[in-house]
Amino acid sequence: MDVEFKVRRFDGEKSYWQTFNIPVKKGMTVLEGLYYIKENLDGSLAFRASCRMAICGSCAVKINGKPRLACETQILEIGSRLEIEPLDNFKVIKDLITDFEGFFKKHEAVKPYLIRKDDNYEEPVELIQTPRELYTYYDFSLCVKCGACYSVCPAAATRDDYLGPAAITAAYRFNADSRDEGEKIRLALVCGDNGVWRCHFAAECSEVCPKQINPAKAVQKMRFKSAIEMIKSIFG
Amino acid sequence: MIMNLLRWFSVKGKSLFSMAFSLHRLTGVVLTIYLCMHLAYLTSIRMGKEVFESFIATTVTPQFLVFDILLVLAGVYHGVNGLRLIFHEFGLAYENRKSILYVSVAIVLVVWLIASYKMYMFVMGV
Amino acid sequence: MVTDKNEMHTKRVLEPLAWLFQLISGLILTVLITFHFYETHFTSHEAMKYGLVVARLSSLGYKIMYALLLFFVAFHAFNGIRAILLDTNFGAKYPQVVNSLCFLAFLIAFGYGSLLLLAF
Repeated sequence: MDVEFKVRRFDGEKSYWQTFNIPVKKGMTVLEGLYYIKENLDGSLAFRASCRMAICGSCAVKINGKPRLACETQILEIGSRLEIEPLDNFKVIKDLITDFEGFFKKHEAVKPYLIRKDDNYEEPVELIQTPRELYTYYDFSLCVKCGACYSVCPAAATRDDYLGPAAITAAYRFNADSRDEGEKIRLALVCGDNGVWRCHFAAECSEVCPKQINPAKAVQKMRFKSAIEMIKSIFG
Repeated sequence: MIMNLLRWFSVKGKSLFSMAFSLHRLTGVVLTIYLCMHLAYLTSIRMGKEVFESFIATTVTPQFLVFDILLVLAGVYHGVNGLRLIFHEFGLAYENRKSILYVSVAIVLVVWLIASYKMYMFVMGV
Repeated sequence: MVTDKNEMHTKRVLEPLAWLFQLISGLILTVLITFHFYETHFTSHEAMKYGLVVARLSSLGYKIMYALLLFFVAFHAFNGIRAILLDTNFGAKYPQVVNSLCFLAFLIAFGYGSLLLLAF
């Protein structure tokens, strides 16, 4: 059967919709549909993709208004008319490709790596962690940095320097890691005006996360921790 | 920038949680405007009995009832949804957020309908 | 950039305290506003007559209740507006302007409302 793909394109100056009709078989994903367009109908269509198995986070696009990973979305599950657009809250470079520079910089800014005093590459130490300790942060470590959460966040829509759910979740993932000793450093990084205080629990991020890691929960926990630490700091 | 602010209220492709947030923000602003109007209107108490009672006679009428009912809806929604947000922002029950949202909306509707009924009976002189 | 240790403490404590107090004032307001609405609509049809309104405003117990209601509602409303403004790029560039304007609005609302309580 034929399915209509209405794609929002951008050529650097103007944005416009272009419609394609694609023959679809059961099991075909939106990403396969985009590849079909590129290979058979219009070679100038630009989009990002890599692993095709929902682990790299490259192919996040808005499908009928909701951000999803194109490689794991079945065309026939959505319907016979698909509207494909680039993610919101990001600057569009071309067609479905958006500028992720700021997003990655914000992720880097929260120091998303283990911070330890005994960091010594010459003499590495084995760090013991029980399964229970792992489960406190395991879900949050599954983030593939697809940007879907950031694209639906109302705070990110109106404030460009807001760190965003992904970055704050990454900060929480490391703070909750029993092997980490950099909690205070990361709390200081997320407790500014552009950090946890911009979240008002719209919780849309948790609804669209393709890995279902619940970033809204991480931000609430991070905010609560920040509040306690900042208030404790009055008393020295 | 105004177009961006309007994106706080866009609902295409978004879940009920986004709509709850947008309504919470909208009712908050509406209630703040009402607060300012209410404080101004209370000044009429200092101006004496005639001024105050004529104000009451103009506003506590069937014509204003629609606005009153909408205002009460805004207030009840903001309050009950706010209680839901306090719950979640303190770190409780994320996993049950869908059920809690549905229950909150149900509570809002019940409380609002009772309050509206009472106001209607009051204004109609029953 | 923060330069002074005292400034750092005040600055660092404004946001968490404002957030916590927003939640607490919200909780208290659900009680106070329900009571206020009950008082003016559900008790008797005479509740809005001038004589009774003045009687309530003159009694100490009600004065305290109204003062608390006014304080919490003015704080909650203008802190809410402050949060909305800080969510924008304008608020990102000029946080001090937003904080000062909202604080001023709170003082004006509370002051103006208190005039009524002091008049009776």
